[in-house]
Amino acid sequence: MCGIVGVFSSDGRLPDPMQFARCLDKLKNRGPDDGGVWADSLVKLGHRRLSVVELSGAGHQPMLSHDGRYVIVFNGEIYNHLELRKDLDPEGGWRGQSDTETLVEAFRHWGSECLGRLNGMFAFAIWDRKARRLFLARDRMGVKPLYYSNCDGVFAFGSRPGAVVPLAGPTAHELNPEALRLYLELGYIPAPLSYYRNVNKLRPGHFAWVDASGVRTSRYWDFRHIPPDGALLHRAEGEIIEELDALIRDSVRLRLMSDVPFGAFLSGGVDSAMIVAAMKASGVSAPKTFTISFDEKEFDEGPQAAAIAAHIGVEHRAERLSVEELLSLLPMYVEQFDEPFADSSSFPTMAVARLARSHVTMALTGDAADELFGGYHYYPLANQLARIARLPGSLKRLLKSALGTLPSHRAKQLAGALALDGSVETYNYLRSFGKDLAPLVTADVLAETHSSRELYEEFAASFAMDLDSAETGMRLDMGFMLPNGYLHKVDVATMAFSLEARCPFTDYRLVEWSMRLPAAYKLRAGHTKYLLKKALTRYLPAEQVYREKRGFSVPTAQWLRGPLRSWAADLLHDESILSKLPLERQRLRQLFDLHVSGARDAKPLLWAVLMLLCFVARHDRSIDLPSLPTRKAA
Amino acid sequence: MDGANFVATRNTRALVLLGQLYIDGGIQRFNRTFLTACDRLGVGCDVLSLADAEESRTNWSAPQSATVRVFGYKKRRFALAICAAILSGRYDVIVVGHINLMILVASFLSLHKRRATRVLMIAHGVDVWTGLERRRFAFALAKSDLILCVSQYTRDRIRAQRPELSADRFTLFPNALSESWVDRFAGVRPAQSFSTTLPRRYLLSVTRLARGDRYKGLTTVLEALAMLPDTSIHYVIAGRGEDQAFLEGIVKRHQLGDRVHFLGGVSDEELADLYSHCAAFVLPSGKEGFGIVFLEAMYFGAAVIAAREKGAVDVVQHEQTGLLVPYGDTVALSAAITRLLRDGSLRARLREKGRESVLEGGAFCFGAYVERLGNLLAVSQPVRD
Repeated sequence: MCGIVGVFSSDGRLPDPMQFARCLDKLKNRGPDDGGVWADSLVKLGHRRLSVVELSGAGHQPMLSHDGRYVIVFNGEIYNHLELRKDLDPEGGWRGQSDTETLVEAFRHWGSECLGRLNGMFAFAIWDRKARRLFLARDRMGVKPLYYSNCDGVFAFGSRPGAVVPLAGPTAHELNPEALRLYLELGYIPAPLSYYRNVNKLRPGHFAWVDASGVRTSRYWDFRHIPPDGALLHRAEGEIIEELDALIRDSVRLRLMSDVPFGAFLSGGVDSAMIVAAMKASGVSAPKTFTISFDEKEFDEGPQAAAIAAHIGVEHRAERLSVEELLSLLPMYVEQFDEPFADSSSFPTMAVARLARSHVTMALTGDAADELFGGYHYYPLANQLARIARLPGSLKRLLKSALGTLPSHRAKQLAGALALDGSVETYNYLRSFGKDLAPLVTADVLAETHSSRELYEEFAASFAMDLDSAETGMRLDMGFMLPNGYLHKVDVATMAFSLEARCPFTDYRLVEWSMRLPAAYKLRAGHTKYLLKKALTRYLPAEQVYREKRGFSVPTAQWLRGPLRSWAADLLHDESILSKLPLERQRLRQLFDLHVSGARDAKPLLWAVLMLLCFVARHDRSIDLPSLPTRKAA
Repeated sequence: MDGANFVATRNTRALVLLGQLYIDGGIQRFNRTFLTACDRLGVGCDVLSLADAEESRTNWSAPQSATVRVFGYKKRRFALAICAAILSGRYDVIVVGHINLMILVASFLSLHKRRATRVLMIAHGVDVWTGLERRRFAFALAKSDLILCVSQYTRDRIRAQRPELSADRFTLFPNALSESWVDRFAGVRPAQSFSTTLPRRYLLSVTRLARGDRYKGLTTVLEALAMLPDTSIHYVIAGRGEDQAFLEGIVKRHQLGDRVHFLGGVSDEELADLYSHCAAFVLPSGKEGFGIVFLEAMYFGAAVIAAREKGAVDVVQHEQTGLLVPYGDTVALSAAITRLLRDGSLRARLREKGRESVLEGGAFCFGAYVERLGNLLAVSQPVRD
């Protein structure tokens, strides 16, 4: 795991060494162990290294191919690189055990076709010195980030926007209004957009060629069209469970490739338990596992995690925190996320990353299982709404008016969902931060930008035929929330502490397999993740697998009514920040009043707004952020 | 064509019940081809059409052997007319153009105990792919002697839902280009008048742009277009509908503005011109019951790319008369387009084989269609449950 940065200019307009070094320094958290720069008259490449595989100098980057034609900077891991080496034979033999060396030789041998052979998480750039063109690529699921900018004949790229923007010319700081609107609808900014008008994210599963004629991006892998295989319904369930278990074990086995100590995050849930069980089954005698435990019983999954750890037989470590202690991570949160980002579960992720880093350098996580195997509560809800949508109009109207008369706001929202047309629109409503709240961006922004619903509809137009609403939601989550939200969070939160996170459920073989798995194996009889839970019963007693999940959600709603209330109010009245954003100020304040009065839980949107304001303040050094509360809340 | 069938079907009187005949659409074109074929076979048709209005008759001239009554969507009058026609006992055969009409027909047939009339039901596509488990459809299908399926997929879907229906109750009855349509363009390559206003090399799609028709795959084509190494290739979309704004949004997001051309509705002559001069006809649709536009494209010598889904696989033979890609697979579609554009001999082969399949003697020529229909009308006997 590392950080990369680079610049290409066909007329040789490259940044001076000091400026480039400052950008490279922005990546120090991502790569504290080593750093390097390579340059010629047209390109400058920089790398910061966190050494996990091949700790010797043989893994130093930027790295040249054996024939000297290609230069690579690479962030990530290629888990099957030793397998790939069997088909490669560089002159003079391999210099070391580094997957970077394998990758650059694979590109030299197969060109862009090499991407189809890679199993890993990666973002890399390769400079072809002969053809004078740059090749960039990002892994299939978007585990590793890659930002780029192409302004005024200068192409810049890097692992975080903070490293790219200074290289991208004077207009790079301009806000992208579409990104702003989408952020306030989704809580993150989806690729290919970024907060900045002239900076893009390379989409997951895409590569790009860059030369004097410009940038051309192309997709090399897509999961959307893979249809569920109905034949699986006629096979013995035990066989399918064995297939799933074997795939997970192999995915975990590949991700144990490491020359440094490693472990795993372990919550009390199914996904991380499955990963830890697979580690054990893969021959790791006593995996190290890490959990954050909370004083507040209503949020605490510590005892469940400990019970799972005891049953599997791992070396378990838990850190007990007060929920309010998480607040101490807010400055780091604001500092590390280079774009506005509203997922408050970043706090516990940062806390567990900090704990894990004090013992290991690499950790496995259970991310992506919910999207692949149907774990979120709104999947069954989406199917229920679709069933209601098929009722005669008169019955639907009756149900809608009955729900509308209930005092609960959730009932009213459900009534709103009944009026929606189709599974994509329903998903958009269920996932939206705004739902029935008035838009916070100005009318001008609304008129000139696209909504999240339009993005979803475009993405879903290439889905396999005849998916039900839940499956549609799972695929939309895989295309949007997973790479731009959850995987982004894990990358930033772990990199903040120089910890490498690996996500076995993002193995493309598992992803493709899950696409072929019929919906009946994901949701059944009210159970989410039906098959995955069945597979886990091979390793854990049923009562641990099927216990009601308490779940941990950061109590931002309470914070905003308590310890963060005055801080939030100050931010929402800070004209020096608000003047930089095309937002409806009156509506912002109404939203805040609505929430603190208790009339409505507007936390997701309100939190998104506050993180946006913090972000703007941090990136404009002339603005001082209101001080965070320093004492614990009562 | 076997002359014996002309003899066998001459003087046959058919009652033909249709949803719609005159407007432009795949099923409506099928219906028109069907009536033209009946005329060739000497079969006289009394046609009752539910959704057409008097003023729509100007769109097409029915053959002299057919009398068409239109009902302007007046369902009750339409039902009464069907009832009267069936009870008259004047018909040798009843042809039902939609599963919902078959329910009505089946009910009236129950009143007519001593009938000797054969009943043929035409099964097109999406209207019979699901929902046939309901009892009323079991009743309706049991009353049809023969189910004419436009594609294998349609046949398989009905059989999967109604396994009690024996295999001999089904017959494949693919569409063809109608004689009148072919006659308009026979022997002449359409003048390149309209397409000269377009870029030299373009991909073509012809379809309605309706929100409910997103399965046609235009979004996939737009994504694939953005990925093509050759950025000189343009994309032309002929057809109108409310979904154009949605597609324009995608064009904007992918920065394809100057490479995508929405033409709206075009005349048949303009369409012929577009087909004749496109680099490839691309419609990776996921729900074609049959896909008459593929035949039209082949007739004008366009290389065809379709999705390996449902009825389209009967029309487009992979690597023979076109290329098939998985539905929704932007990577595969982009690769197929690139391959076709780069490989002149592949393009020539697909064009030649595609054209062969719709010209006289080919599987989808009008003559073959008439022969199939003649055989059905001559030999199909009642096989009633």
